[in-house]
Amino acid sequence: MKKKKRITQKTFVFTAVIGSVLIMAILVVSTLWSSKMTNSATNEAVSAVSEFYLEAMADRRAKTITNLINNNFDQMEKAMAFIADEDIRTQEDLRLSIGRIKSLLSLDRFAVVDSDNVVYTRYTTYTGGSRHSFLAEEKMDERDISTVLMYGSSKRLCLAAPAQGIKLMGKNIKACFVQIDIKEIVDLLAFDDQGRTHFALYSQNGENLSGTELGPYIAEKNLFEAVKGVIPDDEWNSNRDNFSKGIEGSITFTADGAEETLCYVPITGTDWKMAVLIRESVIHDTIRDISEKSMAASRNLIIAILVLVLLFAVILIVEFGVLSYNKLEDEKEKSKNLHTMANTDSMTGVRNKNAYSYIETDLNEKIKNKEIGNLAVIVCDVNGLKLINDTQGHAAGDKLIKDASKMICEYFPHGAVFRIGGDEFTVILKEKGFDTMNETIPEFNRKVEENIKTGDVVISIGYSALKQEDEQLHDVFERADHMMYKRKKELKEMGAPTRPE
Amino acid sequence: MGRSVKLKGLLTMIPAALLCLTACTAAPEKGGADTDKPAESTAADTAVSTAVDFDHELDNYEPARDSYNFYFTYKTVHPWWDAVALGMEDAQRQFLEKGITVTYEYMAPDGASAEDQTRRLLMAENAGYDVIGVDVADEDIISPVLDEMVSKGTKVMTFSSSDAAEGCKRIAYVGNTHNYEDGADLTEALCEKLGYKGKVAILVGSKGAPCHEDRARGAADTIAKYENMQIVATEYDMDSIDLAYELTLKILEDCPDLDGIICCNMSNPVGAARAITEKNSPAVIVGMDHDQEALHYLKDGVIYCLGVQDCYSIGFDTLQIAVKIADGNKPGELFPEKTNEITTVIYQKDAAMMLELLYGDVL
Repeated sequence: MKKKKRITQKTFVFTAVIGSVLIMAILVVSTLWSSKMTNSATNEAVSAVSEFYLEAMADRRAKTITNLINNNFDQMEKAMAFIADEDIRTQEDLRLSIGRIKSLLSLDRFAVVDSDNVVYTRYTTYTGGSRHSFLAEEKMDERDISTVLMYGSSKRLCLAAPAQGIKLMGKNIKACFVQIDIKEIVDLLAFDDQGRTHFALYSQNGENLSGTELGPYIAEKNLFEAVKGVIPDDEWNSNRDNFSKGIEGSITFTADGAEETLCYVPITGTDWKMAVLIRESVIHDTIRDISEKSMAASRNLIIAILVLVLLFAVILIVEFGVLSYNKLEDEKEKSKNLHTMANTDSMTGVRNKNAYSYIETDLNEKIKNKEIGNLAVIVCDVNGLKLINDTQGHAAGDKLIKDASKMICEYFPHGAVFRIGGDEFTVILKEKGFDTMNETIPEFNRKVEENIKTGDVVISIGYSALKQEDEQLHDVFERADHMMYKRKKELKEMGAPTRPE
Repeated sequence: MGRSVKLKGLLTMIPAALLCLTACTAAPEKGGADTDKPAESTAADTAVSTAVDFDHELDNYEPARDSYNFYFTYKTVHPWWDAVALGMEDAQRQFLEKGITVTYEYMAPDGASAEDQTRRLLMAENAGYDVIGVDVADEDIISPVLDEMVSKGTKVMTFSSSDAAEGCKRIAYVGNTHNYEDGADLTEALCEKLGYKGKVAILVGSKGAPCHEDRARGAADTIAKYENMQIVATEYDMDSIDLAYELTLKILEDCPDLDGIICCNMSNPVGAARAITEKNSPAVIVGMDHDQEALHYLKDGVIYCLGVQDCYSIGFDTLQIAVKIADGNKPGELFPEKTNEITTVIYQKDAAMMLELLYGDVL
């Protein structure tokens, strides 16, 4: 029959450690895989997101400018109505009126133009036929939006509206206009996104009108000059067409090792384009930062959990080991107690008949195998037990037995004492007990003979040593027993108590 | 003020003079404009960056009053004077920031006319302006008018491109004082380019306008120095691009082997370049001023060189000096009797930078 394999503490610890390492490895690998997959997905998303994001930003900014334009036109209408209601007779009256308009309607650089193309502003009056493009036509019927790019002056957006039926200082007023400094528009559009995006306003031919840097590569250069040779020619031409036709679009290019994407949208009512650029590396970096922080937190959490699990596992293993050890010790103790109980005479505390049987079996084996040297057996019989029991009661009888046991143990301290019957004891002597028996046995017998006189316990003993021809312990025992009976008769003759006839 | 203007003019003339000197030593070649002409790149950068000074601040003069009202009139409605106006507006803003209100009229007829200018001056004389400034349309007609106004106590100054005649009693002049030399310099560059031989035409602006006439004289005198150079035509476009174009076409028709055109005002080179391009003529154009279209022709090599005046500084200085004159000051420590504003000759390689500087426009 195959021997059943036992699970030891070592096996348990080994399994726990391997299990923990495996769990840890799976967690680490799955985390790394998850990170890789996240990065890959992020990269794919960045391009799509950046364009969508930029387009939305460009749209929003373009609408801000459109709103600004519409708002200014509305204010100009109010301004003209205001002027029409004023009693303006002189140029000075008109200048003061324009000054009030500036305060009331927040219209900077507001001016009116008469039919001779004379321009009236808050502080100056000038002939403006060659200066303002919207005055090129003799009559003005519609609103006009133009860009003022003039001889190094700040670039401006000029909004002009026709004025009908207004007469000032005897002259028909042809139009009014405001000029908005593009720097002011830039201030309006700017918001702090920590330099992640860049924007610029462009004319139809790609000239930077806003003076803002569209990223580190294009900077303030003409857009098409800057990206020429950086993007394919057909793409370049396509984007130029888009600009001239007022179509929105996007350009992606790599410059100085960084990928940049820009989106442009036309600004309604003007020939301007609003372009917004972002370095994709900025999105990458931002997302990477977020991911890394998140992953670092997850990693730390996982490590903390693993450490905790390991710690608990170790504690559990140790506790389990301690428990097992304690249990084993208890079992041993219990077993030992049971064994002791099974082999001990409860009255005298010496070993019993059962223990003698075990020893006998063991010694028989050794005798058979000639593995044992000196050995002697003493057979003891307590005299007068029956008499005591009958005359003094069992308690006195028990005391007699205990006294007898005590005396035997005292005289044969190096021997193994067994109570093998009610009043019968056996002592097995080996080694020192055997070596001293020639002294101890006579002493014992002398004591017994004294006890006859004093009325103390009387024990008849017979003894025999192991002989070469003996095959088993019982052979020795028989000789000793025989001798004990002889002694018993002698002691009887000396007056030792005996069972009643 | 006077010293600083003179010193600034002197300093800024140095690179311009170096530029012209370099141009004179380059090997001349007949035909279209060179692309590798003549100044070193650093000199070219300097030429462009110093040609127009947009960075002005009022000097330390403390005006006596807190408000002034001026009247300025110039030859004709034209972008050149619009550029001057920008300098004046800058000065006006700076005065306003100091709490001094300067109001003014800046008026011109649609076409240059000494009669119209006389009428405007006489109207202004009676309107109580603190100072009247004039860009003289015709020195022979206008100078006596100015003398009469001054004798009646009116404070009169001249400005921008044309001063009054020598001996006129006007208080001061702010503007180009070297129109003759500008005409001569441009013509010298053309002669060198043509190898000092060939047929040339001179386009002038308004008849009687001192600046145009002076440049035309400078051009004619320069041509006269070289026996193989010949002037085949001298025409006046009256500051009209269209007329300049038509006149050039006619000159080319009359003289198909024309080698060069000297343009004395701002409209001349634009009209001439249009005609030259249309007729595919190899004639070399030299001209004046900073018209955006002309600068594009310069960039494309149709025009060989342009003399660019610092209109912005002219305008700024005009208004600043007008305030001093209004306070009763005379030329001397506070301002010169004549300022010396600069003219810089620029070539094809300078054109893009000048376009960017003046118009924010390269393409």
